Amino acid sequence: MSEAAMEYPSRARTKKYFTGAVLLFVFQLILGILMGIEFVSRDVSLLPFTFDIYKSLHLNVMILWLLLGFVGGVYYLLPAEVGRDIRYPKLIDVQFWFMLLAGIGIIVSELFFTGRNWWLVEGREYVEAGRFWDILLTLGLLTVVLNIVATVLGGKRKMSAPMLVLCWGAVGSVLMYVPGEIWFNSLVAAEYFRWWVVHYWVEATFELIAAGVMALVLLSMTDVRRKMIEKYLAIEVALILLTGIIGQGHHYYWIGTPGFWLFLGGLFSALEPVPLFLMVWSAYKDLKENKKPVANSVALYMIIGASLGNLLGAGVWGFIHTLPQVNFFTHGTQVTASHAHFATPGTYLFLVLGMAYIAVPAPSGRTTFPQSRGKLGFWLLVLGFLNMIIALLAAGIVQVYLQRIQGVSFMDVQNMLLPFYGWRMIGGAIVLAGGLVIAFDMLMLGRNKGQDID
Amino acid sequence: MNRYRLMLIGLLIPTLLMIPYSVISFYTDFANKNPDPLSVTVEFRGKSYDAVEGKKAFEQYQCMGCHTIVGNGAYFAPDLTRAYKRFGENDAALAGFMLSGTPAKGMPPMSGRGMGDEDAYRVVAFLKYTDRLDTNGWPGEGSWDRDGSPDSAGAKKLIGADIWQIILGILLFNLMVFAVILNYERGKEDAGRRKHE
Repeated sequence: MSEAAMEYPSRARTKKYFTGAVLLFVFQLILGILMGIEFVSRDVSLLPFTFDIYKSLHLNVMILWLLLGFVGGVYYLLPAEVGRDIRYPKLIDVQFWFMLLAGIGIIVSELFFTGRNWWLVEGREYVEAGRFWDILLTLGLLTVVLNIVATVLGGKRKMSAPMLVLCWGAVGSVLMYVPGEIWFNSLVAAEYFRWWVVHYWVEATFELIAAGVMALVLLSMTDVRRKMIEKYLAIEVALILLTGIIGQGHHYYWIGTPGFWLFLGGLFSALEPVPLFLMVWSAYKDLKENKKPVANSVALYMIIGASLGNLLGAGVWGFIHTLPQVNFFTHGTQVTASHAHFATPGTYLFLVLGMAYIAVPAPSGRTTFPQSRGKLGFWLLVLGFLNMIIALLAAGIVQVYLQRIQGVSFMDVQNMLLPFYGWRMIGGAIVLAGGLVIAFDMLMLGRNKGQDID
Repeated sequence: MNRYRLMLIGLLIPTLLMIPYSVISFYTDFANKNPDPLSVTVEFRGKSYDAVEGKKAFEQYQCMGCHTIVGNGAYFAPDLTRAYKRFGENDAALAGFMLSGTPAKGMPPMSGRGMGDEDAYRVVAFLKYTDRLDTNGWPGEGSWDRDGSPDSAGAKKLIGADIWQIILGILLFNLMVFAVILNYERGKEDAGRRKHE
């Protein structure tokens, strides 16, 4: 066991969060491939389940592993920052198994109860898990909040700014799951609050987690002064919230809400890339200052990948279709799919993987480990997602022109998009290869040192 | 400025602004912009079904898993916001379409998921309601999503004479990107070695 793990024994318990997250990620990739097959075949009898089931699982499994990764990340980073171990270490294990069981429940419900019971499958994008699972998962996550708060209150040191941001993000993520669980008669109101879950996750609370984790990881890996790393943090956070909270308006253009959202949403979401640019800029400056050789370069790859993916995927790809004049045509087309497949993996996948490459090897007693496998996985993911993003963007542009401007029928357009969907599948296969490499690497790194051959 | 105060201002100002914006959004939804979902109904065999029951059925059968509604959902199947209009406001045609699906284009028959006539008409009531939503003009005039008629085109398969050209092109693209990556990693190795020496 390394020193850090000896000092805070609960750290060893967080390992399974990351292994679980990576394995669920591979499962999500397989689901994505199955959806790709549905897109190019359009045959309901080819695969055992239909498209909607794969799609909802694709999203719900992602949410599950993101939550696992973030909770694990907070549990891993918190002790060293407040100078004491997690208050209830046993809860870390219990919560992991609870979340995993809830996840299995969601998967089984999706597969066998879709259309049968609204409490088990709700069928709304991103919050497809039925009300029962929503409430169960929220209660479980509230115990995570309890554990974090109890640890912070009993801490020896005052919490540093990045840790505070990270904790805000984690607590906010749990709270933001609730608005999606309120019933409204009106579709407009229901959609209005469904976007509170999705948008305030990806563009507020998860973004805070990203800012906090990036600062803390750079602090632990480099010799750059704390003051320098934290220099831009407050302004980043303020800008993320300032643009993100009202930037919500870009989801309110066409759902039956008043027209003033076109102005507000356009204005504020056009500013959303600014804090993301700041994040990249500050990371760049920090790394330029750094004199210490970084031993764990895979983790650094992932973290830099996350900051760049955030700027390009969420910032630039978001910006190209966020203005209402553009979104009027692109809304509900493959352009959005391209953006989603850039922003989410680009930011949060690499963030969780970066955390995993820090949190998994160390408690297993590895201070150094071979980097080549992790790097191979990273580049395969980048290459695969690049294929997918470009294919979907091209498909989206064609779809906008034909369907929204020329009035060609949906199915005719889909037939014309088949080559792009084929290309997207090839990208998906490369991503799956990368995911498998990373998962294998993670399982190897997670073994205890005694079992090692090398 | 104190950085904690800065972060707090970043949180509080937009949060406080969201309150009046949300209130106005809801007021217009109920007051004049959109119909009351309880009052939008369809008749079937002497019984009437409203759009609120319809919304629940719409969620339960996971229509959003393939289709979009007001542009949100999955992009596997057409947008349903104006589907009621596309079907010529014909309740029976729309309900029948839902129940039997179009397996050749990827839509399973909803009756296979336990959807009966009642639920089908509930969803029809919901689609009647969404058709009347004031969505600020979306989808645009002239787009198939607003002005089209039910789709008569069949689904094609991705196998044709030109597929090899496509695969070759994609392969080339990937090799190019991979060469760039390889070059980058090699350059870094060399730089590291030089620093070592």
